[in-house]
Amino acid sequence: MNTWSEIAQVQPLASKVITNSIKKNRISHAYLLHGDRGTGKEAIANLIAKGLFCDNLIDVEPCNTCSACKRIESKNHPDVHWIEPDGQSIKIEQIKNLQKEFTYSGVESNQKVYIIKGADTLTANAANRILKFLEEPSKKTTAIMLTENTQSILPTIRSRCQIIDLQPLSPPKFQEQLIQSGLTEENAKLMSALTNNLKEAIEWNEDEWFVQARKLMVQLIETIADNSNDAYLFIHNHWVSHFKERSQQEKGFDLLILAFKDIIYYHVGKEDAYVFFYNDRERLERLGMKYSQEQLIAILQQLLQAKQRIKQNIHPTLVMEEVTLQIQG
Amino acid sequence: MKFVIQRNQLIASVQDVMKAISSRTAIPILTGIKIDARNHGITLTGSDSDISIESYIPAEEEEMVYVEEITEGSIVLQAKYFSEIVRKLPEQTVEIEADSNLQVTIRSGKAEFNLNGQDAEEYPHLPKLQTDNSLELPTAVLKSMIKQTVFAVSTMETRPILTGVNVTLKDNKLLFTATDSHRLAVREMNIETVNMEEINVVIPGKSLNELNKILDDTDENVEISVTNNQVLFRAKHLNFLSRILDGNYPETSRLIPDQSKTTIHVKTKELLNTIDRASLLAKEEHNNVVRLTTKGNDLVEIIGNSPEIGKVTEEIAVSSIEGEELKISFSSKYMMDALKAMEADEVKIDFTGAMRPFIIRPEHDGSILQLILPVRTY
Repeated sequence: MNTWSEIAQVQPLASKVITNSIKKNRISHAYLLHGDRGTGKEAIANLIAKGLFCDNLIDVEPCNTCSACKRIESKNHPDVHWIEPDGQSIKIEQIKNLQKEFTYSGVESNQKVYIIKGADTLTANAANRILKFLEEPSKKTTAIMLTENTQSILPTIRSRCQIIDLQPLSPPKFQEQLIQSGLTEENAKLMSALTNNLKEAIEWNEDEWFVQARKLMVQLIETIADNSNDAYLFIHNHWVSHFKERSQQEKGFDLLILAFKDIIYYHVGKEDAYVFFYNDRERLERLGMKYSQEQLIAILQQLLQAKQRIKQNIHPTLVMEEVTLQIQG
Repeated sequence: MKFVIQRNQLIASVQDVMKAISSRTAIPILTGIKIDARNHGITLTGSDSDISIESYIPAEEEEMVYVEEITEGSIVLQAKYFSEIVRKLPEQTVEIEADSNLQVTIRSGKAEFNLNGQDAEEYPHLPKLQTDNSLELPTAVLKSMIKQTVFAVSTMETRPILTGVNVTLKDNKLLFTATDSHRLAVREMNIETVNMEEINVVIPGKSLNELNKILDDTDENVEISVTNNQVLFRAKHLNFLSRILDGNYPETSRLIPDQSKTTIHVKTKELLNTIDRASLLAKEEHNNVVRLTTKGNDLVEIIGNSPEIGKVTEEIAVSSIEGEELKISFSSKYMMDALKAMEADEVKIDFTGAMRPFIIRPEHDGSILQLILPVRTY
């Protein structure tokens, strides 16, 4: 997505808001772009920066061929600063460096742009430091913050930015794209439920780990549904060794949630919404018989809570065992 | 791009530009050295975005041929590897060739390196500064002006503008001012031929320290020119660019008292050594405080005291004392820094009371001024 017209297809509202302000030369001093993965946050940030630096803007569209545009694309532009989380969060050191940067004149022009990726991961100290120059922007400085979750950003920061909400991608459109890229219909449905990012979806689709993870999940659900004590053994023998990283564990829970959602859909007869058991109706039917709707809702709640706990650094094996215990209830 | 170059020239240039390259940089292209080949010579550029250094190797100079077989072009090479390679090549001549796919071949004797280059278009565009709007200064003078002021810049980031040296040019007078709000260093210089308008910029202290290191002690002149966001120091075959600090420098001329109540004339070396000895027992957490007391007309007592360690007292004979009796405490570190910057055998110190700032000047030279705020002690 290298032009506003391409963005407009996915994010009509956001692109309109921003292109209008470019046209009227009223670019805000700070933007907060809020949207899920793959909704085009970085593409929009890049376009805003290009709009400020490009030498031959055509109306609002950057030319994408001048050296400023090229260097913004490759993150080599000396007056465009990218701040990305260093590990889990954005550290105060990074903000200090940025602050130092602001006391200097620009390298090539007086225009400066800083883009903060994952702005929700700012540590409290770092966030408070940023406030200072959000409050008193020096001339010709534009801040662009990208986040998946505006709620975890300090309200004091939020109130100083123009917030732009990006719409989630529409699943059917995304699935179409995936199928065009060579995924089967079944896989396309599953991937569109897991991510909004085309590249990521294709990567996962070809990933050996992911195929195995899916198989393990089906087995796990079967074992749990059989109500046998083998479930714990299964967790220790297979689950723990396969889902090592936290991101993998989170993905595992996403898969489990999708599977149980399908069982609910079976109950309410919403066949076109099947994701996990799309090509496995027989198994779905069998599982559907075992749980009542109330049970399923309770299970989903447990799973969501478990996913939250993984994020809070609770030992994954314990979380998994607890969830199994509660599902078998 | 292609050229054949004398290795010694290349090594010297690479070493110069490496001083600007930092391993920790946010912009990937700045880990590289930019090589520009033009028919008249080769330019190497290194930068960490705060400072940039350009080193020029002429194709021919004083009937020596340094660079031959030049085909024009530009490329960016990884600085870390390029500098090591150049240093360790076997022969005296080096051939460097880049193809259109940014593949670079470095040949010397039988050794051949293939390196992946980066597109020179990606490199920051340094401002092209015009030479007709500039100021010339002998290198030695510039270096001493830097040395006499830069130590006084603030190291705290709370007031970023004070981390720089204020350089102004007005009425043919070039002025360097630095302060960390506890002390002030000013150096003045009359310039006879000026062909530029007034300037008023704040150059980061860090950049000036680097500049001081990279300039050789020669008799040649340095040319200074300023744009709205960079300042250029041009020496022979070497361009040093620094970004400037944004903001207004505080007005400092009003801080300097114009009358004095007590004046001491003293030998610089002797006072420096005495303060140095007294500072041995002055503790850092108490601002390295020492106390100065006048005794009669030609004696000054310096005391350093830390109750938990001990006490040092030393009397020093001075040339003369005029005015009121005085007891004053100040930081020995600031005092030593100021005295070291004097470059004169004898200095004059003007006090206006124990709670007021005092100024140190060389006896017969008004161009250097150091001002120190005393420390309140009870």
